[in-house]
Order: sequence, then structure tokens, then C-alpha cells
Amino acid sequence: MLWQCARAGGRRAHTAHGSGEQVDSLALALGLIVSLDPGFLAVVGLSLRVTATAVLIAALIGLPLGALLALKRFPGRSMVIVVVNAMMGLPPVVVGLLVFLALSRAGPLGALGLLFTPTAMIAAQTVLALPIVIAITRQIVEDLWGEYREHLLSLGLKGVRAVPTLLWDGRFSLTTGLLAAFGRASAEVGAVLIVGGNIAGSTRTMTTTIALETSKGDLPLALGLGLVLIGLTLLINAAAYGASRVGARHAV
Amino acid sequence: MLTVSSLQKSFATDQGRLNVIDDVSFDVPEGQCYALLGPSGCGKTTTLRCVAGLEEPDSGRIEIAGRVVYDSALGINVPTHQRPIGIVFQSYAIWPHMDVFENVAYPLRVARPRIPKAEIEQRVMDVLALVGMKDVARRPAPRLSGGQQQRVALARAIVRRPALLLLDEPLSNLDAMLREQMRKELADLIARIGVTALFVTHDQAEALSLAARVAVMHKGKIAQEGAPRDIYSQPRNVFVAEFLGASNILDGRIISSDGAQALVEVGAGQRLRAKTPLPAGSAIKLLLRPERLSVSLHKPVDDSLRAQVSSVGFTGPTVDCSLTLDGAPIRVVAPADTPIKAGDEVWLTPLDRNGMVLAA
Repeated sequence: MLWQCARAGGRRAHTAHGSGEQVDSLALALGLIVSLDPGFLAVVGLSLRVTATAVLIAALIGLPLGALLALKRFPGRSMVIVVVNAMMGLPPVVVGLLVFLALSRAGPLGALGLLFTPTAMIAAQTVLALPIVIAITRQIVEDLWGEYREHLLSLGLKGVRAVPTLLWDGRFSLTTGLLAAFGRASAEVGAVLIVGGNIAGSTRTMTTTIALETSKGDLPLALGLGLVLIGLTLLINAAAYGASRVGARHAV
Repeated sequence: MLTVSSLQKSFATDQGRLNVIDDVSFDVPEGQCYALLGPSGCGKTTTLRCVAGLEEPDSGRIEIAGRVVYDSALGINVPTHQRPIGIVFQSYAIWPHMDVFENVAYPLRVARPRIPKAEIEQRVMDVLALVGMKDVARRPAPRLSGGQQQRVALARAIVRRPALLLLDEPLSNLDAMLREQMRKELADLIARIGVTALFVTHDQAEALSLAARVAVMHKGKIAQEGAPRDIYSQPRNVFVAEFLGASNILDGRIISSDGAQALVEVGAGQRLRAKTPLPAGSAIKLLLRPERLSVSLHKPVDDSLRAQVSSVGFTGPTVDCSLTLDGAPIRVVAPADTPIKAGDEVWLTPLDRNGMVLAA
């Protein structure tokens, strides 16, 4: 299997440190990608599945919550906005630690036995993505509300009844926000490493595998995954740019 | 149809409370188009917003189509969506993600109780036909021109068949060329729809050409109300005169009067006759509209005013002349073939002796 082959090559690259060997590593990395190595694909697949699920959950919770935060006035609202905005910069390792504590056997959700499973990683990434989704939704919906407030009020639409129209009107900007959340979740290492445990064949994502394999000296695998991650980042940004372009064309 | 009585509204500012609307009352009869005209900060928009229910007055009473929608004494304040009104917003507030049809249908789609689909379709198409947008019903909103956007906003405002149409600076979003064209179109549309309309504008030409009656507002009060021709030709005070068009206003004094006509002295003792009921001895302001003065090189009547030409600007159909009358600057717009040049001594004669004298 190319996977083993790459490992062997990687060890050679690690021990020899020659520049020719590094070119070999790159070639082997490309080989991993092009040959669609099953082990390699499993890691990429798990990463995408975990992140996509996390962003989906974050969207389901964050879009309505962000919209309500934009439209409702209540005591302490500014405080909530500041906290949500601050949580966008939450260090992933801290999120990992908190989710770990919650899911560990002695923790409040320990009975579920979710620690070191993909579900735990989804939980951690959801926590990372949620503040981004809420904060961006709040901003977009609040701006739209400012523009259409009186029109909606004159039709008797306020609060919850105004939310679907506003979310739909802001769908392109919101898509950009969701892609930002996807970017943050797919790129982080710390949280999934802590709650997933980086177990081969079970909870290994692209980022945790890169961290592990680099330290073990398997450069081709790390490089291959790195290339996929870079490609993914490019793709996300291209999609975000496309969404904002389409959105601009739809603005009056 | 619309009756506003003793409306009062103040806002807290750094300098204490500011009366934005100060005892405003007016009536708009059924089917009439009524304009609130004034500079920014005069209270016209706040008045419109109070009628719309987007702003709550401090006191007063508002009645629309026989229904009291606001009465401070009775504690009535009907929410905006329950008032029989349609609003055309200054920004138009057209949904960019909907096409023309959907934008106009939106107020019906969200109406409770629900309106059957077929009826929505019928009503929207009827209204689109009325504003001449039936052919572009499926055009996406971002592809509409400024004029089309305005028509969509108007169609959307009348699709629920309101008793009263409210328009907030309906033409200010358009560029100058289009504004003139849309002004005629809007006047036409409002007449065709036959809806009672109240609109707010800072543009005097817009108010005078669109409305059957105009209220000029100043510092929260109605400075003058009347038919466009009347308030233009007989302004009650300096503010109204200046706001309704470029004006020359000179300080003067009434020398003698017979109760209907007076002899007025301006400048360095120049005298002319003007119609006014003010008594002899009154200090007054004399209003000379630039286009209501004839210019001649020889004294045509015994009470013409002597002035010196400083400059003559050719604009095509007219000449725009700067003159001085005993040191005071005067502007005159005369026919292009008027044979005058800078440095000439000329005689100015008012074409009309009405509405020239304003209380000082």
C-alpha cells in the first residue's frame, strides 16, 4: 500500500535530511493524493465529516440565535454581543479542555461515553464555530433590519416573524459567515486533539495527523494532508468570494 | 379623510427639549394630494411618521378615514400595521432578492388572515398594470432603473388598498434629470389611482407641481398653508417667500396707505406702490421675485425703481442679471433679448403689485 510506502520513504527523509530526499517526500505526498490512498482518504473524509457536521449544527443554532440577538432588545444585550464577539477568538485548546472536562467520565456528560469519539470532536468544533455564526448573523440581520425595519413594521412583521425574510435576504453574506466558521473549525488542532485523542482509524483528522506524523518523521503523509488543507482553504475562500460577488449583484 | 389636530412632539436634546412638531393641524380631503414642504429639521418628516404610526406624538389627535388612530386624551395609539395606510419610503426599501411581482405581493403574502393565492396574483397584476409594470413583473429587483424602483415601491404601497398613501421624499433618490420626469409621472399616477396622499419634500418645485395643497413648515409649525399658486404669489412671511423660490427681499417702510394700497419707500428714498392692508408707518419687507420684474432702459412708470447692472449672465432662454439698488444686491431673470449690459442704469418695474409686502 502506498500509505506504508510513504511512511518508509518518510523515515528515510527524516534520517537523511538531504534536499533531494525532501523532494522525494513531496513526490510521495503528491502520490498519496493522486492515488487516492484509502488510509489517506479516511483521514480527509473524517475531517470533512466532522467539520461539516459541526458547521451544520452551529448554523442551525447560530442563525436563529444571531437573528434574535439582532432584533430583540433586552437588559444585558450589549454584554451578550461583546461576549459572543470575544468568543470568536476563543483559543481552541481551551475549548478542547472544556469539552474534555464535560465529556470525561467524571464530567456532567461523562455517562454518554463520547470522549475520544468523532462525536466529541464535532461537539468541540461546534463550540468553535458557533460564536462566528452568531456574531456574523447578528451583524448582517441588524444591518438589514435597519434598512427594512419600517417596511416590515408597517406590515406588522416584527421579532420572530421578520426573521425568515431577513435571513433569506442576507443569504449570500451569511454563506460567507458559514464558510468562515468552516475554515476555523477545519484548521484547528488543539480541541480535536484533546477530545478526539488522535486514535488511528477512528479520530484522526488532517490537522492532528499532520502534527503527529511530522513529529514521527513521516513527512510525505504530513505534506500530503497539508496540501489538501491548503487546497481546502483556497476552495473555501473562493466560495466565500463567489458568494459575496453574487450577493453584490443581488443588492439594489 | 386625514385630520391632524394640535399635534405636538418634542425630543430631548443637549439644550433641553426641542419642539419638533409644535401645534400642527391640517386636513386632507378625500382624493387630494397634500404636501408638507420645508427645510430639513422643520418637522415635516416627523409629522408624516406620526401619521404613519412609526413615531408617537406627545399629544394631539390623528384621524384617518373616519377612524381615530391616535388620541392622547383618549389614550388611543393604533399600531402602524393596523392603520389604513401605504408607505413609500425614501429608500424605497425594495427587497433585492425578490422580483417585481414578489416585492409587490409581499404585503399580501404576510397579511393575516391569509389571502388566497389566486387573489394575490390577481391583485398584484392589477396594481402592476396600474403603474405600468406588468411587462416586467418577473424582472429581478436589482435590474430595475430608479424610476422603475419608484413604481414598484408605489405599487407595493397601494396593493393592500390603503385609504391614505404616505410618501417620504419620494423623488430624492433619483438624479436631477430623472426627478423631473418622475415628478410628472408620479402626479399622473396619484391622479389615476385616485388615492388620498400625504407627502413630504424639501423640494419646492416638487411640492408645488404635485400637490393640490401645500403646507410650508418652519421650526415645527405650519408657516403657511394653501394652494400652490396662492402661497407662491402671496407668501405670508419672509421665510415662506425665500423657501418657495429665489427672492429679493428689501427693507422698507410704508409712507402712506389707503387701507388696500400703500406707498412704500425702499433703498435711498425710492418709492413704489404695492397692495397691502398694513397701515402707514409700518416697517415692512418688500419681496421682488427675480422673474416678476421688468427691466427697461427708460423709466416706464412713475414708481419704477432705479438700479445699476453689475453683470449679465446668459443662460439660453433668459439672462440672469445681478444689479444693485442703492447698494443692495438684486437679482433679475429677464428674457434673453433684454438689451442691457454691465454698467447700465436701468429701471425695474414689478409685473404684479400683489403679495410684495411682507410683515417685517
